Amino acid sequence: MTEPVLSLRSLHKRFGPKVAVEALSLDVPAGSMLGLLGPNGAGKTTTLSMATGLLRPDGGSAHVLGADVWRDPVAAKARMGVLPDGVRMFDRLTGAELLRYTGLLRGMAEADVTARAGELLAALGLDTAASTLVVDYSAGMRKKIGLACALIHAPRLLVLDEPFEAVDPVSGEAIRSILRGFVGSGGTVVLSSHVMELVESICDRVAIVAEGRILADGTLDEVRAGESLQQRFLQLVGVHELGEGTLSWLRSS
Amino acid sequence: MAALLVGLRLKQLGRSLTRSPWHIVGLVFGVLGALSILALVAVAAIGLRVGAPQAVPLVLVLVTSVLVVGWVVGAILTSADESLAPERFALLPVRARQLLPGLALAQLLGIGGIATALSLALLLIAWSTSVATLVAAIAMLPVALLTCMLAARVVAGLLARTLASRRSRDVTAVVLMLLLISSGLILNLGVQAVASSASLQGVLESVSGVLAWTPIGATAGVPAAVAGGDWLAAGIRLVVALGTVALLWWAWGAQLSARLVAPVQASGGGRVHSGGLVDRILPASPVGAIAARGLRFQRRDPRHLLNAIATLVLPLILVGTQLASGGLAPGLALFLPLIMALMVLQIAQLSLAYDKDALALHVLTGVSGRADRAGRLLGVGIVIAPMVVLASVLVAAFTDGWALLPAGLGAALGTSLVAAGTGIAVGAFLPGRAPSPEQGPFGRGSSGGAQSLAALAIMAPIVLVASAPAIALAIAAVVWMPWLGWVALPVGLAVGALAVWLGIRIGGDRLDRAWPEVLAAISSDD
Repeated sequence: MTEPVLSLRSLHKRFGPKVAVEALSLDVPAGSMLGLLGPNGAGKTTTLSMATGLLRPDGGSAHVLGADVWRDPVAAKARMGVLPDGVRMFDRLTGAELLRYTGLLRGMAEADVTARAGELLAALGLDTAASTLVVDYSAGMRKKIGLACALIHAPRLLVLDEPFEAVDPVSGEAIRSILRGFVGSGGTVVLSSHVMELVESICDRVAIVAEGRILADGTLDEVRAGESLQQRFLQLVGVHELGEGTLSWLRSS
Repeated sequence: MAALLVGLRLKQLGRSLTRSPWHIVGLVFGVLGALSILALVAVAAIGLRVGAPQAVPLVLVLVTSVLVVGWVVGAILTSADESLAPERFALLPVRARQLLPGLALAQLLGIGGIATALSLALLLIAWSTSVATLVAAIAMLPVALLTCMLAARVVAGLLARTLASRRSRDVTAVVLMLLLISSGLILNLGVQAVASSASLQGVLESVSGVLAWTPIGATAGVPAAVAGGDWLAAGIRLVVALGTVALLWWAWGAQLSARLVAPVQASGGGRVHSGGLVDRILPASPVGAIAARGLRFQRRDPRHLLNAIATLVLPLILVGTQLASGGLAPGLALFLPLIMALMVLQIAQLSLAYDKDALALHVLTGVSGRADRAGRLLGVGIVIAPMVVLASVLVAAFTDGWALLPAGLGAALGTSLVAAGTGIAVGAFLPGRAPSPEQGPFGRGSSGGAQSLAALAIMAPIVLVASAPAIALAIAAVVWMPWLGWVALPVGLAVGALAVWLGIRIGGDRLDRAWPEVLAAISSDD
């Protein structure tokens, strides 16, 4: 088997008394699209932050194509593009300026940056908003410009936290076809989502996280085990059953 | 409702204290400051009552007026405290009328409100010249307190609305800065006039006499009139004072109801003309990109814009006050641009904090710490270096001290460069806290002050020592031989360049080691 593109080994992180991620290990093989699933507060964002160099783990390691994210961050970061969730952007720049900024920070040549920025803006339907300040973008437009920033240096690995959240169906389809093409040409994607149907339709691998641990990890069919992903997810994570009388005052009739 | 809001306010204050030790430091400093002012007030009130009881009305009208104006200025400078902003209640089925009393009480529950109430109470000592005066003063105490708080809230509310859109925010920021400058000048002129006029007391009496009739001083005007036995004046001033409070209360209520249904939302300002000039001039490298971004933010982000304006304006204020107080001594004026180094120091140190968690982009792209430091300095330098030169040339022109220009330039540029290098290095260790871009441009984060003080305590000695050679040579040029200025200039530039080089290396290497920790430190909102 070839070397995994993203390899997490027993990652630990605790915030005060709360253990956010505990002994989490995960391998993502090349050319796969992995959906990272988990309930709210499961540690998905914490895990992705530790894998991308935003949050220093208490223990464990993360490697991107053999480069240690925490020992050789420059090499590791050069190989991945990241769309963080719920993080501010330099929003007093226009969309085009932000893309150019990101490309130049990546050390790309100016000509490449300009050409790719134009293509990316057009592909994501942002060309009309290219000279609008990002602060005036809608939530979906911010997702798209964030994705464009993650793509501009043609990374080998994409780490996307909730890439489809608040994105309209048309742009969503555009993002899907971009990601499919990226994976088809040998790229690797790790994305987190809460929408099971979406993960079933585009991902070929799935990992389910709850309380900072991996509950299931494998190809889509292995994890589903003959059921729908939704049912399997609920079985693994545990359903929170509502009693008969719960919230009875809410029923108006 | 009132109890609920007051409880909410207290809980917010309590939580902020347990979340960050810097808050406790800030609170301790605040309380110590308030206590020392209160002690001063107490001593002054007793002294006044014992030493010069006939001057009590005159002085207290002035003091009360200063209090009211102080609250308004404070509201302009620190409008960032939006923890009880009306918008937060917009989704709840409450009317402004129900919220008003609680919000009013909650606003008074802070160091400022409590200190003001206590000061007003201490002033009662001075008012105790007769029973009638004391009674009138006691009756007017809550009115005075309400006037302070309401005036501050109404002004802050007006400001919030105008600051919400980009264009008016820029205009307001500039106008306010100009007002602040001219207020310094006017104050200085006033002091000059008073000091030079034959009867100091006469001037004060007429000022105090006018203020006592105005909304600002009427609350003290009432007991003042009672003390003089002028019951008609007391009655009219009472009407003015109560009318002011009623009007402010109504205005605040109107603002509140307006903001409940039409929340003030900061907007960016739509499409902008993206100046390609900046991109063409600066190199297409990480350093150049960061510098270009810094330049754009100085124009588009009111917090940065205000810093840039303040840098230029600070020495101008000083030049103005010097001119107003009769002539500019060339030897002394030469060193006025040095004040700009203080701003440079702060801008360089807080540069990371202003980015908040947008800095994640720098961490994710793996940009080197040195490139980050150098890019930020370049962006700041392109704007401020010409300002420093301009200020030095202006001073030379005003004082006709062209012979001393090289000395002045050497001292000012050298110190500014040293400050830039020190700030950029220390900023990587103690990034401080800044208001988030959604908040008003005038505020500091509530605990930013304490951490900035700590950083300043580290940076100030370094800057003083490192810039000493250039400044010493400049002083020698003034008092001894002007040609020494030609030595001060290269010495200042050389030491400054060394400081910048060291600052970029030290700060950059620290960032490379601790990007995630720095990111976490500046991301938190409290």
